[in-house]
Amino acid sequence: MKIAVTVKIVPDTTAEKKIDAATKRLVRTGMNLVMNPYDEYALEAALRLKEQLGADTTVTVVSMYPENGKETIRRALAMGADDAYLISDAALEGTDAWGTGVVLGAALRKIGFDLIICGGLSDDGTTGAVPGALAEDLGVPGIANVRHIESAQGSLKVQCETDNGYQVVNGPLPALISVTMAVGEPRYPSLKGIMGAKKKPITTFTVAELDVAGAAGAANAKTELLSFAPPAGRGKGQVVKPDDSAQGARVIFDYLKERKLV
Amino acid sequence: MSDVIIFVEQRGGHTRKVTFELATEARKVADMLGGKAHAVVLGGGAPALAEQLKGYPLDVVHVNDDADVDTYLAEPEVDYVEALARELGSSIVLVPNTMHGRDIGSRVAARLKTGIVADVTDLKLEDGKLVCVAPKLGGAFITSSAFKNTEYGVVTVRPNAFAAEAGGAGATVQPIAKPAGKTYVVKIESHVEEAAAEIGLEEAAVIISGGRGLGSAEPFDSVLKPLAKAFGGAVGATRAVADAGWVPYSMQIGQTGKTVSPRLYIAFGISGAIQHKVGMSTSGTIVAVNTDAGAPIGEFADMLVVANALEVATELTRLVEANRSA
Repeated sequence: MKIAVTVKIVPDTTAEKKIDAATKRLVRTGMNLVMNPYDEYALEAALRLKEQLGADTTVTVVSMYPENGKETIRRALAMGADDAYLISDAALEGTDAWGTGVVLGAALRKIGFDLIICGGLSDDGTTGAVPGALAEDLGVPGIANVRHIESAQGSLKVQCETDNGYQVVNGPLPALISVTMAVGEPRYPSLKGIMGAKKKPITTFTVAELDVAGAAGAANAKTELLSFAPPAGRGKGQVVKPDDSAQGARVIFDYLKERKLV
Repeated sequence: MSDVIIFVEQRGGHTRKVTFELATEARKVADMLGGKAHAVVLGGGAPALAEQLKGYPLDVVHVNDDADVDTYLAEPEVDYVEALARELGSSIVLVPNTMHGRDIGSRVAARLKTGIVADVTDLKLEDGKLVCVAPKLGGAFITSSAFKNTEYGVVTVRPNAFAAEAGGAGATVQPIAKPAGKTYVVKIESHVEEAAAEIGLEEAAVIISGGRGLGSAEPFDSVLKPLAKAFGGAVGATRAVADAGWVPYSMQIGQTGKTVSPRLYIAFGISGAIQHKVGMSTSGTIVAVNTDAGAPIGEFADMLVVANALEVATELTRLVEANRSA
């Protein structure tokens, strides 16, 4: 079975973010880049399936990044993916969720797949729209919010998270699923994995090679960013040191009462 | 001129508060754009819910209790919404920013080859364009976006961001035809309900949240739950607590968990790491209780009370309950 995992390269959550005044976009140069944390769970789910299904199952990582993102993708290979495809092209700067679905779709058609696993959200955009857009672009069944893969041999049986539990869902392959973090804690790359990753192939595609110029870049996007600014600051609040817990509770209660919250 | 369509997330005639928030906001957006406000209600129980929606300021409620919607995952709903959007022409589709809402919204956007703006907390008209305001990067930035190169747009709306106000002249409820020539393959075999909050975290007006400072799993049920109940709210948790297996991941707030903006957020035994902050910093009022006066949460909470979290929670429950029955 051929499993493909989509991976987004995002700025580290803990890093300080800056906005370019001219482009109104996040300044990515000089920032510490990481694999989107949600995608690490997608990769983990893929690696567990591979362990379960045996050696003829492969895990391929696919990522789209305007600049060269090879260093970040190496981590995915070190975790255990077999190979990676990077769609790296300056023309991709400003591509929106719809365009990303089209670009990744074109790449995945070239690469081939039985199952695509995506993270449910991205850490920077949090649109969560790419898995759905990609399933639609490829014309394959898409199953969102998967928290557990029960089986993936021949067809799929998964558990999808709902607001008050989960539902058991089945469908055919090929398909696309997006996973929640309940699929299992991502592994750390082992030293052996890190050494081995250096020899694993990373293939690069350009926009022209995928014939997706009509979907790439800010000019083709269906949304435009008008402004991007820090919110009016939330200042440091008051610190209260009560004599005992009962007084602490009373201080909170009075404060909430004053604000009409109780 | 653009019409507005809201997708109503429902099962068996039950829906969430966000549906009525969407119904209220749809009217405002439709008036801004000079169009009509439509709702689509699908699946078992839809007719009863459609009647309930008549009390909100919509123009037309399209309804079909198609059993395929309950049997097959997402795809039938996407087909209906897409069909209605194409029939109406230029339109804005509003969906709730929930797990299911995002799934439906992203597919409808792809079908209509249009854009999607997610987690929107305000909608306004500027220079004839619909402007969608959304916090990004955990509220560290506020973005304004508009649609372009398209006559459609999809917006996922954050629960609790808009008021739900009944009113209007009474919408027309009418049947919507099942899209023809579709076959569905992804089947819902069963629903399993787990012990979960009666109110979804994303739509709760009050969230009582616990961190590792609570010491064990037990107080989530014995202390936080009664307090949440006294407020009519829901219980949340940090990632550390979910990782420790004290609560299910569905209760986790923050990066890789849920993003919430309740009117009131009370954090017990939560230090306030950035990974948690990004999921709750846009809450209305934030109160924290922690034994550490230097906990990072003090930097963005409106009030930090330095005390034993469990004792304060227990006493606060008593005060809130007494106030309610007074």
